[in-house]
Amino acid sequence: MINIDHLTKIYGSTTVLDIDQMEIPAGESFGLVGNNGAGKTTMFRCILDLIRPNTGTVQSRGANVAKSESWKEYTGSYLDDGFLIDFLTPEEYFTFVADIYGLTEGDIVAFFADFEEFFSNEILDKKKLIRDFSSGNRQRIGIAGALMPQPEILILDEPFISLDPTTQIRLKHMLRKLKEDKGVTMLISSHDLNHITEVCERIVVLHEGKAVHDLITNQDTLKVLKGYFAVS
Amino acid sequence: MFITFLLLEWKSTKRSSIWQKNLALNLVIGFFLFLALLYLLLLGFFIGKIIQEVYPGEDPVIIFNGFLVFYFFIDLFIRFMMQSLPEISLDSFLHLPIRKSTIIHYMVGRTILNFLNMAPLFIFIPVLFTLIAPEAGNFQATYWMIALILLILGNTFLATYIKRMFGTKPLIVLVLVLIIGALFALDKTGVFSFAQLSSQAFGAILRQPLYLLIPLAWTILTYRLHYQFLKAHLYPEEVKIKKQREVHSSTENRLLKSFGITGTIIMLEMKLYWRHKRTRTMVYMLPLFLGYGLFFYFQPMYMERDFVMQFVGVFMTGGMMLNYTNYAFGYESNYFDTLLTKNIDFQQYIWVKFIIAISIGIICYVLTIPYLFFGSRVLFINTAMFLYNIGILSYILLYFATFNKKRMDLSKSAAFNYQGVGASNWLAIIPAFLLPVLIQIPFQQMGIPNIGLVFVGCMGILGLILHKPLLNLIYKNFTTRKYIMASAFRERT
Repeated sequence: MINIDHLTKIYGSTTVLDIDQMEIPAGESFGLVGNNGAGKTTMFRCILDLIRPNTGTVQSRGANVAKSESWKEYTGSYLDDGFLIDFLTPEEYFTFVADIYGLTEGDIVAFFADFEEFFSNEILDKKKLIRDFSSGNRQRIGIAGALMPQPEILILDEPFISLDPTTQIRLKHMLRKLKEDKGVTMLISSHDLNHITEVCERIVVLHEGKAVHDLITNQDTLKVLKGYFAVS
Repeated sequence: MFITFLLLEWKSTKRSSIWQKNLALNLVIGFFLFLALLYLLLLGFFIGKIIQEVYPGEDPVIIFNGFLVFYFFIDLFIRFMMQSLPEISLDSFLHLPIRKSTIIHYMVGRTILNFLNMAPLFIFIPVLFTLIAPEAGNFQATYWMIALILLILGNTFLATYIKRMFGTKPLIVLVLVLIIGALFALDKTGVFSFAQLSSQAFGAILRQPLYLLIPLAWTILTYRLHYQFLKAHLYPEEVKIKKQREVHSSTENRLLKSFGITGTIIMLEMKLYWRHKRTRTMVYMLPLFLGYGLFFYFQPMYMERDFVMQFVGVFMTGGMMLNYTNYAFGYESNYFDTLLTKNIDFQQYIWVKFIIAISIGIICYVLTIPYLFFGSRVLFINTAMFLYNIGILSYILLYFATFNKKRMDLSKSAAFNYQGVGASNWLAIIPAFLLPVLIQIPFQQMGIPNIGLVFVGCMGILGLILHKPLLNLIYKNFTTRKYIMASAFRERT
């Protein structure tokens, strides 16, 4: 589904991303962990053609994301607040997303029904602009907006951050269900090793831009990760 | 403690991106403030002469003192409208071991350090030396000056107190306008002469310094009022004047929906403009641009000069276009990433920007048609310039808009917000405004200026016909510039 080839990004004299070869097959749930500055967000931005890499390419379904724009039709993403349009109400934002992806009124109704639990009366009918919501609720709106067009690839940067515990658990359920039922390819980064091992079947550890571990998740993975990040 | 607060505030101003990145703009603003103060100073020096001209044979001191009551009411109104409340970041101080009263004294006292408190001194001090002191004596003049300063302070505390208590509600503005109006009306119709009362009151201070106690009491009273109000409400959410408004979602846009994605993007832009103060205030600039012609059309000296008339024409129909296109992408910096990653066709996106830009041009053109009153040649020139604007200038502006890569934070908007305004961007565009004038020069030399105007107009029409390849050029430029724009827009300061 996604192929990364000789991808590097250099700012000044520091290499923030340096991935030689990486393939993320269709339907895989791919987790990305690493300390601050390891290059997680940079990698996602390269995949989303938001920054121009110094060398190398990212291919989505065989097409270079910097050349072809067809990946936008089947990719849903939420990296940070910049993915929200903060002067809209949540309803208006979702309608905007629906219009962009050509969803029907029926699709919107079905979407609100699907996400009723995830929103838990915090998001809809609040008569508030997105910028006036708390960061946790903005996060919910952003994740829902990324899922709304039913993407085949989903890219989330730190989705669990600032969510309340219940919503974190609901999000995990939702992501697992998306993978099992619809075979969605997922790229998720997180600082929370527990969450990421629960959701992802493959976990890559980034350090100074390089993929230092590439693990298939099993019962030992959490221990391995904790060992890697442990302070000696 | 006060000094620490002041130093912190000074640092926050100095380190804000607005201050650092916009030295040129700050210099321009500083220059205009300097000019304003110079005018006030001149007014102060010559007001005695002016009064003698207008009211011959009367005592200028009495006349001047008579004005003061009106001055102070208007001053109160201006302060209420313009003086910003000092925003000490309460959240970062309330939890520290600082006495609440210290914070409040600072918050009230800080209102004194304001341009509006300096400005009147530039009038009053020359008046003091040229008018009051020679007539009433040095000591008496000093009392008079102290009384004025006390009243200025009283006005400061009162205006900021009213503003804190009520916000700038239209009702309060109306009440203030009505009071001032009533004051003038009663005075003019002779029902009650406030001017006389005012000159008696200030005359009394000139004779008997003990009367100073009255303005002193007034200043203390207003200070206490403001102080008490803050003391009762010293919680960040109560002190902040920003109130959340209820917003009704408008997800139904039946009319625009029939235009597909184009309609969706236009709808988004309309909301963007409507929901931010900074963009809303741009509409107020419309009369300024449209009325620009009035400075010139009354003067035959300019009417005979084609190049002046042409520039006026380009400016009137193109000025608002420039205002829009200059920030066509910058205003979207908060959510630029979402536009880039969602399924949006950027050729269409740029087409929408183009449509909005030329719509603004068309609206401005229609509104300037009444200048026909000044002769058909005015309309002729304006039409040629309008065609140039929508057919040539529009592309140039959109092309340069991609070079405006300063992040605009609209959500932090207030009046006089210059964040993200770059002087370099304006400089690059001035030649584009002068281009039609330059094209005209050879025709002027050959003695066929009208053919030149027709030529400029035809260029515009040709530009409109060629919109596909021209917009494609802008799109190509955009696709290479978008990474630079996106990374600059992401830089939150």
